[in-house]
Amino acid sequence: MFRLNLKIAFRNLWKNKGYTLINIAGLSIGMTGCILIYLFISYQLSFDQQYQNKDRIYRVVSHAYYAGGEEFDRGVPLPLAPAMRNDFGMLEQVAALEGSFGMIKVKDSKGNVKLKTLEKAFYAEPGFFKIFDYKWLVGNPEKALTAPNTVALSKTTAAKFFGDWHQAVGKTINYQNDKDLLVTGVFADVPQNNSNVIAIAISYAGFKHRNEKRWGSVASSSECYILLKEGVKVSDLEGPKKAFLKKYYVEKTIGKPDHLFQPLKDIHTDERFGSFSGKKTSKNELLGLTVIGVLLLLTACINFINLATAQAVGRSKEVGVRKVMGSGKKQLMIQFLTETLVLTLIALLLACVFTEIVLPGMSALFKEEITFNLLGHPVIFVFIFCMVLLVGVLSGFYPAMIMSGFSPALAIKNKINIGSGGNTIRKVLVIIQFAITIVLVTGTLVIVMQMKFMREKSLGFTSSAIALINIPSDSLSRQKYEILKARIKAEPGVTAVSFCSDAPSSDDNTNNAFAFDSTIDAAFQANTKVVDDDYLKTFGLKLLAGRYLAKSKSDTAREYVVNETLLKKLDMTNVQDAIGKKILFGGIRGPVVGVVRDFNNLNLRGAISPMIMMTRNDRFEIIAVKMNAQQIPAVMKNIEKIWNDYYFEQVYSADFMDERISNYYTGEQLMGTLFKVFAMTIIFISFIGLFGLISFVATQRTKEMAIRKVLGANVLELVTMLNTSFIRMILLANLIAWPVAYIFIEKWLSGYAYRIPLNIWPFAASMLISLVITLVTVSLRSYQAAKTNPINALKYE
Amino acid sequence: MIQLQNIEKYYANKGMKSYILRHVSTTIRQGEFVSIMGPSGAGKSTLLNILGMLEEPTYGTYEFMGENVVSLNERKRIELYRNHIGFVFQAYHLIDEMTVAENIEAPLLYKKVGAAERKSRVAEMLDRFNMVAKKDLFPGQLSGGQQQLVGIARALAAQPLLILADEPTGNLQSAQALQIMDLFRKLNEEENITIIQVTHSEVNAGYGSRILHLLDGVISEDLQVVV
Repeated sequence: MFRLNLKIAFRNLWKNKGYTLINIAGLSIGMTGCILIYLFISYQLSFDQQYQNKDRIYRVVSHAYYAGGEEFDRGVPLPLAPAMRNDFGMLEQVAALEGSFGMIKVKDSKGNVKLKTLEKAFYAEPGFFKIFDYKWLVGNPEKALTAPNTVALSKTTAAKFFGDWHQAVGKTINYQNDKDLLVTGVFADVPQNNSNVIAIAISYAGFKHRNEKRWGSVASSSECYILLKEGVKVSDLEGPKKAFLKKYYVEKTIGKPDHLFQPLKDIHTDERFGSFSGKKTSKNELLGLTVIGVLLLLTACINFINLATAQAVGRSKEVGVRKVMGSGKKQLMIQFLTETLVLTLIALLLACVFTEIVLPGMSALFKEEITFNLLGHPVIFVFIFCMVLLVGVLSGFYPAMIMSGFSPALAIKNKINIGSGGNTIRKVLVIIQFAITIVLVTGTLVIVMQMKFMREKSLGFTSSAIALINIPSDSLSRQKYEILKARIKAEPGVTAVSFCSDAPSSDDNTNNAFAFDSTIDAAFQANTKVVDDDYLKTFGLKLLAGRYLAKSKSDTAREYVVNETLLKKLDMTNVQDAIGKKILFGGIRGPVVGVVRDFNNLNLRGAISPMIMMTRNDRFEIIAVKMNAQQIPAVMKNIEKIWNDYYFEQVYSADFMDERISNYYTGEQLMGTLFKVFAMTIIFISFIGLFGLISFVATQRTKEMAIRKVLGANVLELVTMLNTSFIRMILLANLIAWPVAYIFIEKWLSGYAYRIPLNIWPFAASMLISLVITLVTVSLRSYQAAKTNPINALKYE
Repeated sequence: MIQLQNIEKYYANKGMKSYILRHVSTTIRQGEFVSIMGPSGAGKSTLLNILGMLEEPTYGTYEFMGENVVSLNERKRIELYRNHIGFVFQAYHLIDEMTVAENIEAPLLYKKVGAAERKSRVAEMLDRFNMVAKKDLFPGQLSGGQQQLVGIARALAAQPLLILADEPTGNLQSAQALQIMDLFRKLNEEENITIIQVTHSEVNAGYGSRILHLLDGVISEDLQVVV
């Protein structure tokens, strides 16, 4: 029976090649989208999941309430790790992890430097490797990093430094032109789906600031991980935490400091904190993608249902005959479901092929190694099986029910009329399908507009033709700052040069407490930028009051410049009033000499922070060079030459302000691309579904059209007749889609401090798009039908 | 075998009842060969559909082999006609996607006949109707007469006690029609299969043993055919 059903299914599919093609195309494209989304999401959820203790590992993060809001930081104050080790009994391990960046030099056997490179390195406490069970190839994870000036390397890094990782242990590398570090261990490479992709782990005992006692300063590079004892719940930590906070936060601090324990599995998907990997995918994004995946499948299923019920009339005779021969309703349903499943399986095979084709593109887009490996990940089988079953049943059940319900006496004489009931459901399904399409199109348009807005909105400073070049900050190098600056400034094509801790806009910000006007302890932290006297000119900042910082060679700040937001937060409306007021910052009291107009110190997602700018020679990290746009290549070459004259021991690295800014928005760009791709896919699926449906309607109404033509209707009138009902449906779909789209878009836009106003245009545009697509599709097909000679159509009877 | 009592069938249309059948009562015994005749719209096909349990009468009782069909549920009814009734249609109504052999086999599948038995019965039918060479052809590749032979073979494969035929020769040329009618007579006489046919043709009716004349839904005449 089953074999026969299968055979009949194939013959039927072959007979209606056109519809089969449309169905398979729609389903396989929908499934491809679904598989890709599944692969992406399961990759994102696989972050940090390879550790044995993963359910007991938590990251301690900082959270502070201010009068003006709250602040999240993935870092903790430096004294927190030892204090927690001391005060929490239920923790098996506490380990600090300090992110760092610097130059590594490797010498050959004769003592000559053979390799000079800038690398990310981590200071890790030995406990870190008790929490995370890295696979150690050489060395003892418990002991390797106990002594100061020791380092463990990943296999690849060890091979890079010494040629062969087997020979790494016992050799030394030099970090930041400072101490030589002895290699005591080699561990297997940490996979990319990790929040801490550690390649160089330096003993924490060698970290300069490990004994820092200040609780008021939080840097996001200082993370702390804890491992709960077996059986301890994270909620058990709340009690001791209260006492802990009370005990250590004794100084009067601004806001209300708190620490949260973040489960390991949440690190990658919690957008408030981020991680060393620099990657994060928020739960909302994952949810959004899941919804899109479901919608993709849904539109494909709707296509199927529509075409199948439309075709049902043509198959009524077969149903009738089968029933007369003694087939029960159930047997017919099974037969039709078999057909659907065959179709779904064919679509699945195609989808697998498509996935293989598209996957490299997606991996490149996400810059992640995502593989479609059925054997390596048996879970995919489960997913695919569920998907096929869902699609098969979802799209096959309703048509099967309709068809098996035909009355045999009528069906056998082809007198079946699917009737108004079936038509209504088909119409509702088409409306749903188009509503989904319209929501996505509108969403895509808004995302594209917001992206354009962010790219084009002025950040409040000049960002074009500015190069940011790293500089070493050891005392020897510092002595060469002046001459370096003078020489670069003298280069033709260079218009301004400035030393600073960072560019005006940065995603690496330092926030600090301060006191204003001697008496008031400010209720918020201020973003601090260490700059020199040319910063204003280099980045085109505008001064609103007072003067700019004077030239200073000192390592301590003497005077301050603040921004408008800081004054606003202090309730000062007149910028002039600020001049001359004293600021106490980092133990140094100094006058405010000027106020700058606000500029974006983060990206456009966040609002502008209150800011204090000062000069301190010991805290410069980059030199910013403003050039003539036309001369950039030549100037950059010369700057590198000059730089290498002074810092031949170091590694030169430079990037451009513009590129940095566009990098802030890679997440948005990604989302934008994804939305564009999937919106196109859904439009395409809906389009071919509509085409199938209108083909059917045209065939069904051939006789009617022929009669009308005989009565004198022309082609245009007939095309209009067929179009009208579809156009009405599309308009209705728009009405349904708009409020839904509005809610989603408004929610998405509210995540941006600077956003486009939501007006009617994206909605109107998506209506236009849907109308045009419908008109083109329907007219194409109905024109063909309307043009046929009425005699041919009326001959049958 | 069949007892109809006061069968009525009407469609209500905007309050108006349009009668198809009125007060139809008759008894048909095992082994009879009945022809139902009458002008278009007299209700012949409806009567045949009711006999074949494809339609339900509005009123009246229908007993088939002692069972009241009207009161049976759908599954029982399907069971009943699946086992005892074979249909032959004017337009053959073969399933276009199935080969000759598969068409003949189909009712056996629904009857849940075992695979070996099915094979032998299909082979027997093909043999009997001289269609062994055509068993893998599709209905579209056969002539009308051949298609009707397949239709009859299909009806016979399930070994029914009753064959209902709705103008079985209506689409055929006269030579083929004669062949079909000869076949019916043979089945009726040699295998004692009850046959009820709807026909317009006096010639065809002459093959049977009894003629029911329908006029506007009423049995106007019930004649025994004298050979």
